[in-house]
Amino acid sequence: MNYACKTHHSAMKSHFTHFRTIAGHRNHYPQVVCANPVVFEGNGRATRSKFDSSALRLNYKPGSPTTELPKGRVAILVDDDAAKPPSTGKFGRFGGKFVPETLISCLEELEVVFRQALRDPQFQEELTTALKDYVGRETPLYYAERLTAHYKAQNMGRGPDIYIKREDLTHCGAHKMNNALAQAMIAKRMGLTAVVAATGAGQHGVATAAACAKLGLSCTVFMSTADMEKQPSNVDLMNLLGAKVEPTAGSFKDASSESIRVWAGQLGEVYYLAGTAVGPHPCPTMVREFQSVIGRETRRQAAEKWGGTPDAVVACVGSGSNALGIFHEFVSDPTVRLIGVEAAGFGLDSGKHAATLAAGEVGVYHGAMSYLLQDEEGHIVRPHSVGVGLEYPGVAPELSFLKESGRMEFCSATDKEAVEAYRRVARLEGIIPALEASHAFAYLEKLCPTLPDGAKIVVSCSGRGDKDAAMVSTYMSR
Amino acid sequence: MAIRAAATSAPTARSSSALSLPPPISSSSSYSSAQLSFGRAKSTTRPRTTVGCAISCTMTREAAAVTSTEKDDSDPALWSRPDSFGRFGKFGGKYVPETLMYALTELESAFNSVKNDPDFQASKLCISAVKAELGGILKDYVGRETPLYFAERLTDHYRRPNGEGPHIYLKREDLNHTGAHKINNAIGQVLLAKRLGKKRIIAETGAGQHGVATATVCARFGLECIIYMGAQDMERQSLNVFRMRLLGAEVRGVHSGTATLKDATSEAIRDWVTNVESTHYILGSVAGPHPYPMMVREFHKVIGEETRRQAMEKWGGKPDILVACVGGGSNAMGLFEDFVKDKDVRLIGVEAAGLGLDSGKHAATLTKGEVGVLHGAMSYLLQDDDGQIIEPHSISAGLDYPGVGPEHSFLKEKGRAEYYCVTDEEALEAFKRVSRLEGIIPALETSHALAYLEKLCPTLPDKTKVVLNCSGRGDKDVQTAIKYLKV
Repeated sequence: MNYACKTHHSAMKSHFTHFRTIAGHRNHYPQVVCANPVVFEGNGRATRSKFDSSALRLNYKPGSPTTELPKGRVAILVDDDAAKPPSTGKFGRFGGKFVPETLISCLEELEVVFRQALRDPQFQEELTTALKDYVGRETPLYYAERLTAHYKAQNMGRGPDIYIKREDLTHCGAHKMNNALAQAMIAKRMGLTAVVAATGAGQHGVATAAACAKLGLSCTVFMSTADMEKQPSNVDLMNLLGAKVEPTAGSFKDASSESIRVWAGQLGEVYYLAGTAVGPHPCPTMVREFQSVIGRETRRQAAEKWGGTPDAVVACVGSGSNALGIFHEFVSDPTVRLIGVEAAGFGLDSGKHAATLAAGEVGVYHGAMSYLLQDEEGHIVRPHSVGVGLEYPGVAPELSFLKESGRMEFCSATDKEAVEAYRRVARLEGIIPALEASHAFAYLEKLCPTLPDGAKIVVSCSGRGDKDAAMVSTYMSR
Repeated sequence: MAIRAAATSAPTARSSSALSLPPPISSSSSYSSAQLSFGRAKSTTRPRTTVGCAISCTMTREAAAVTSTEKDDSDPALWSRPDSFGRFGKFGGKYVPETLMYALTELESAFNSVKNDPDFQASKLCISAVKAELGGILKDYVGRETPLYFAERLTDHYRRPNGEGPHIYLKREDLNHTGAHKINNAIGQVLLAKRLGKKRIIAETGAGQHGVATATVCARFGLECIIYMGAQDMERQSLNVFRMRLLGAEVRGVHSGTATLKDATSEAIRDWVTNVESTHYILGSVAGPHPYPMMVREFHKVIGEETRRQAMEKWGGKPDILVACVGGGSNAMGLFEDFVKDKDVRLIGVEAAGLGLDSGKHAATLTKGEVGVLHGAMSYLLQDDDGQIIEPHSISAGLDYPGVGPEHSFLKEKGRAEYYCVTDEEALEAFKRVSRLEGIIPALETSHALAYLEKLCPTLPDKTKVVLNCSGRGDKDVQTAIKYLKV
């Protein structure tokens, strides 16, 4: 969807009945549908067969609900009974399913499969084994001795203890793999043999390509030509892994729209693998659930290491999957501060940034109500950041909710601060963080002086920075 | 010396032959005291001055054992790997200038003192006691233990039409921090250097992987780091050079000779000779003078130890075959070491045949090399008729070394390990194959081992357990591969 809805819901509701009749689809729960479904240009023509769910050919065996998951599972908590009708996917006023009718039944079926997979012990077993043996979980919670000493030295020997959650050590080098693998397994479970995805920086594309190779699924990844130029190494990786990389014009948002278009045109044959916690329900929930393994491990490791919980958890926020992954476990724990760091690019005033929560407004984008960067006419602003993975003009609806409810703090770091942090962490700890994660590390400069001695900070190092060496080298020579 | 025999046949003549026994075996060798029987002889410590039948019979047995080992030496448990001079049979040793002898001896005693130090010990404590310095770092910083991954689609690929075939497992050293097994050794050596009070670390590097690993650990522990790299290699691997500098290391280009790895190694050794008091030299592989081959092997042996435990968990047994690529030989020794004494486990090393063994452009040291001394050790190496080192070639920089670790030469001569080789082309095919089948992009070095599966698997009975060391990830090789594969 490449438009933003600034109009109010009441205007949309007047068309609600009209759509219901046309669709002939059972809608016994409130659903807001946008008035102008001119979304998929030239595609997604609604035909009778698209609404007939048997046309989706779901070949999975529904698992029987179990009351408890066996010990040692990468247990995924389910908060909804499988028997309930598909939910609206709202987080307060954010989230939802702002999609054309063609996609509704598909999304509903996806949600049902998702819930059943979570309850299926065999799926859990396979996922746990794959996360352990293939992805390399669990990732360590590493005490960054020299980084801690660095900040203490600036403050008369007093300062927090800094721990790094090492998502950079996962297979393919970013947290994206947790989600890509689990969803590829869901696709296989549904009997689908083709996967489509969109990628910005390329990390999600690479993770999806790898997961599809492992599971024997065909993979098509949409990437904008601009991004392909910025991250050519990731394009090469995807090609090597057997994926087909389709270039699109524009930027990530256009690649995203294109992939959704293809999905809508081939419902029942193709699985759309969402890379991050945005999009229509159930995508944000699914991605968050699969990423929440990060937070669960962190809680256990924190208890082992210092017998408590973190005082603060810091993560970079692009669209929000790694942040939600580590935050989710601690949301209901008010003693844990959740701090999201966005990309301030050239500075919030410059207009060239990607700080959605800081500078955005609420609207509908890619099927969900959330904060987004839009101009006066409701057109999406093209974001900028040196961390390409943070260049998303929207943000996860769940994070928008956490912001509005005050549960989460958000701030930002400029390109310059991020590159400095990249170099600092490399020099002090021998860990080269991704430029995206470097934004989280950059915020430590401001955060550490404010914290009491011995406070425990966990920073999510969401990916490794080898891919950014060329970019940083160029940046530094400028 | 009077040794009275009481209950055993211990002729005095034999005891006088004590003079012709080989040099005494020091405590640093891998012979356990139980094998020497001195530990069991409760009444004495020094045979020359003591009276007692126990001594004479152990002396006899020991003498017999020593003479017989030279004829029938098939029990790996009896081999000294290495002996007190750092020799593996006739290989290994310390062929270095006098100035380095003290440093090597100092290094060896430091290593021996920490080897059994519970605070320093590695893999056994890796999981249980995070307090152990090395274990803690290996777990939290490097990311050990690495998984033993069942490669389902690769196994299917090698399944024969009747459904039979081996089971292929990959030991995921590619998941380590910095993406290769190199860091296991770098971490161990830098901790050792700190214990020795050294503030300055030097290393040589070919493609840059070992350089990056060394720069990484020096950054982590705050030590000064100088990396020697051939000028030609620096041009080919400019990104790795940038990475090393980012990590705070100084990269010095070497322009002598062919400006590649072997020249960088020579320069590094030269630096070490000059600055031996303040400097520790982190050698990247199981080559070089004693104690390096032994030390590097010990730091990598966590790979094999984990594999043993994981194999037991997964299928309740041992691997049948271990496969690893061999450049200098560190990743292979790391996987093999724990299983050398298990004669029912086949050990297979795969070298680089480059453009083909007949082309003269390869790095198949154990297949085509001759015995000589390089970089301080006696081992197989690629040399011409004048004894000059031949410039090796392999598409993978890590295997592009004209020598090989002395222990591999020893294992080959003993017949304990088998060594084959694989061309650039076969390696590239394997690189692509494993990427497509498993979504794991292996390093080009590792791809050599993976390529050998093509020849190996058809010969294996059903359900043979093959463990292959996936020694590194291939992100660094993508440009090279794309160029050749035209993907």
